[in-house]
Amino acid sequence: MPDLHQTLSLANELNLLAAGLFLLGSFGLIATRQVLDCVAVFAWQSLMLAASAALVAHETHLGHLYVVAGITIATKTLLIPWLLTRTSSERVVARREISQTLNVPTSLLIGLGLAACAYFLAAPLEATAPGARIGVNLPIGLATLLMGAFTVTVRREALPQVLGILSMENGAFFAGLAIASGLPLFAELAAAFDVLIIALVMGLLTRKLHERTGSTAVADLTELREE
Amino acid sequence: MTLSILFNLLQVLVVLVFAPLMVGINGWLRERIQAKRGPHILQPYFDLWKLFHKDERISEHSTWIFRVTPYVVFVTPLFVALLIPVLTSYPLFFAFMGDMLGGGFILALGGFFLTLAAIDTGNPYGPMGASRTRMVGFLSEPVFMIVFFTVSVVAGSTIPYIVQQRWIHPLSSFFDPAHVLLLIAFFMLIVAETGRLPVDNPSGHFELAMIDESKTLEYSGKGAALMKWGGAMKFFVLMTIFVNVLVAPWGLASTRSLGAVLTALPLVLAKMAACILALVGVESSFAKLRLFRITEFLGAAFVVCVAALLIRLMEP
Amino acid sequence: MILLLIILLPLAAAILSFWPSHRRSIPGVVTVGATGASVVLALDVAARCASGVIMTGLSGALWCDAFGALVLVVCAFAGFTAALFSIGFTRRATHPMESLRVRRYFVRLDVFLASVLVVPVLANVAFVWIAVALTTLLSVFLVSFNRNAPALEAAWKYAVLTSMGAALALFGVLLLHWSMRAGGGHTFTWAGLNAVAKTLPLTLVKVSFLFMLVGYGTKAALVPFHAWLPDVYSQAPAAVGALLSVLETTVLPYVLLRMLPLFPGASVRWAGSWLMVFGLLSAGGAALLLIQVKDLKRLFAYSTIENAGIILAAAGMGGAAGYGAMYQLMAHALAKPFGFFAAGTAIFFLGTGQLKAMQGLGRRSPWAGAALLAGGLAVTGAPPFALFLSELSILAGGAAAHRLVPVALLTLFMVMAFSAVLYHIVRIVFGEPTGEGPVPSFPKTFALTLAISLAPVLVLGMSLPAGVQQLMRLAAATLGR
Repeated sequence: MPDLHQTLSLANELNLLAAGLFLLGSFGLIATRQVLDCVAVFAWQSLMLAASAALVAHETHLGHLYVVAGITIATKTLLIPWLLTRTSSERVVARREISQTLNVPTSLLIGLGLAACAYFLAAPLEATAPGARIGVNLPIGLATLLMGAFTVTVRREALPQVLGILSMENGAFFAGLAIASGLPLFAELAAAFDVLIIALVMGLLTRKLHERTGSTAVADLTELREE
Repeated sequence: MTLSILFNLLQVLVVLVFAPLMVGINGWLRERIQAKRGPHILQPYFDLWKLFHKDERISEHSTWIFRVTPYVVFVTPLFVALLIPVLTSYPLFFAFMGDMLGGGFILALGGFFLTLAAIDTGNPYGPMGASRTRMVGFLSEPVFMIVFFTVSVVAGSTIPYIVQQRWIHPLSSFFDPAHVLLLIAFFMLIVAETGRLPVDNPSGHFELAMIDESKTLEYSGKGAALMKWGGAMKFFVLMTIFVNVLVAPWGLASTRSLGAVLTALPLVLAKMAACILALVGVESSFAKLRLFRITEFLGAAFVVCVAALLIRLMEP
Repeated sequence: MILLLIILLPLAAAILSFWPSHRRSIPGVVTVGATGASVVLALDVAARCASGVIMTGLSGALWCDAFGALVLVVCAFAGFTAALFSIGFTRRATHPMESLRVRRYFVRLDVFLASVLVVPVLANVAFVWIAVALTTLLSVFLVSFNRNAPALEAAWKYAVLTSMGAALALFGVLLLHWSMRAGGGHTFTWAGLNAVAKTLPLTLVKVSFLFMLVGYGTKAALVPFHAWLPDVYSQAPAAVGALLSVLETTVLPYVLLRMLPLFPGASVRWAGSWLMVFGLLSAGGAALLLIQVKDLKRLFAYSTIENAGIILAAAGMGGAAGYGAMYQLMAHALAKPFGFFAAGTAIFFLGTGQLKAMQGLGRRSPWAGAALLAGGLAVTGAPPFALFLSELSILAGGAAAHRLVPVALLTLFMVMAFSAVLYHIVRIVFGEPTGEGPVPSFPKTFALTLAISLAPVLVLGMSLPAGVQQLMRLAAATLGR
């Protein structure tokens, strides 16, 4: 028995670590200056999502979560980064710096504030369902959800905005690992498909934008505005 | 008791003797990774030897601060070496004198004198480097503080001998996200504080772009040797705190016998060499940041550290 | 089986439309045929649901009650008229050589329509979320049909903002799943949730509701989150605008109002208050914004926001106003496509959507002017159109439920919107022409679409058949009060 306890707590600890690195990924998406690095950070964050799914599966003995982990790796760490760099033409992801509406340290501080908010939001929620193994997934997922939304608003470039949206979904799924692990596998598959379509549609749109306007600085799109 | 004092002095001796070796390993590894031949691994010792045998020239416009500073810079890391676990995983005779914060203050004292001395001579490059160092310092010191606070929250103490045990009991807590994130943050701090590549280029020869090096340009002979040696020891001490206190106390002597302490020495040096390998990897794969991007680098370190604290709070 | 068929018909039309052929009219004809068939099937579903039957299909994956049937019918009808209008539109808007572009347009329209129609018949809440997210993604390239920079900008804003909303709503859905497990439920369907509504942890349901309100509310363009909508409507083809408008005022309120029965006892007033806050904000904000518009399609865009607000506020008031909400939902979904088609026709004649440049439409083309005037009257709720009666029943129901302040505010906003819309439209129709130009011939499909889409608004404004009344009453009953 003590041996089992040891492995359980190790899985727990590793899940915590995955959560920490997952959160770091969302900070990375706020602060990374190069488009290609942003994509890499997103792939890393998704890998942590998959790791957490596998660890939760290990702990709760829910076999289908292993499949979810596999799907996540296949779509989010491999397919979507590939898709985003492919569909957007070479010049879109050229190695240049992304401009932001706020400077990086300020954005990071706001991100920290959001993460703290998520912590205080999640605490009363956890109290409502006693006995459930919620762990760290709910607050971290919520933090990533909020920080993803912040990423979309603060970044002026097309691809990082897409990645912000995708990381919001990552955050929701990360929280879902703890609070909705009973969702049928088919729903998870459909959701993965949905995320894939998001990446595809937005990637194509980015490419068309680049073709038409010669830039992907979407914040400069201000032609449509109420006078 | 006597053994305790003996080991403590042995620690100081180790820092004194092996600090230039680490600098030498660092320089040699960096050049090797970049597919160059690299200087001899003992080159820093040759440099010190050469400098000690040269005449010292001191500007007549300088004050006593200029003359005292090399000694301060030389001595402060030695004091810190009394407080931290260099070879043993149990506290030694002088360990009661200060915790990690105390060590930080002592190192900061050396930095303070270094800054004053750089301004003292009126050399145009000195104050420039000094002001830049202060800029980096202003940004890195809050992060140091947060690191220590996080450590004290996680481990319940800032005494290095207690902190180091926290990471391996039980073994799974080595993977505690607070621990891993702290390591990342402190590693970034070492990079910034010792003037390594994304922040500063230690091998650059262009005075306008220098941060750390330009402060010691005016020194020659014995003064320059002491400054160099002191800088090497500061690097050694920071690395010691990193690998022994923050990573894990593996390899340290846990029994009070001379044999155990002596076998700990190569193990600690090996740990440190592994850490230098990581540092060199970072140095070789990043370009130097623009001066005003350094805030972002240290901001990232700050965020990593606060994230560690947050996760600690969220843990069930 | 019927439910499945309703979804499969547009998908089949999509496949057939994509089939390469030299005749450009084939995709349009196929789409109109398929959507027409799905309207007939939807009417059949509605007739059955009006008698209190709950239809299921695909071993429980599809599920449709009176509320769902109501939404299904109006969406299917809007899809049919939009397809009809698109035939004339694509013939005029594209080059004869661009048959691929026309085929793509109809394929996208079909797939989009299928994703809209599947929402009210899906049983599982998680799948409903996926379907709503898909409605956005599948309509992005319909919005950017014009392929110029403004259209792409509109499409980008649309995709980014509504996808953000979808992610927030996803979190709400997951929280709802958690509360279902905590409450002892096992099937994550609307019916399964209703069965355990009494035991759900209230805090979780409340937080989940708020996340969904913000998430789906972004898609429904409720006022603080409405920034994308006017841009999208001003750039999208009229038929797409009509469909999107119906989507925002039927499907999204449907998803949100499905949450109401999950609030036990007095807590439903809490949810109702949030609906009223956002509803009144939207109605009031849109009414104010309506005054300053300079573009005809934007005019109808703000009118859509206003109506979404009215529907949610009415549902939030509860009591008899719930019936009014259903009435408004149906009447608006029938009237708004007509308004968009009339606007599309007017813009087609004048070649511009700028209100100033459109003056004198009535002189240059009396038919188009009359249609636009009728459209303006229909969407703002003037008699004899159906929206007049539904707005009256909301106000009466709200007053009966002693919600006097919201009723007063709603009345004010309705009058403001009415005056603003009519002010602009009267100036267009009866104003002095600013420029002369050749008036193109009136495409037959435009006239046909206008006639078909006007008929139900007019008929339901005169008399309400007992079957429709019964359907709306049952639908209002699903709100749980």
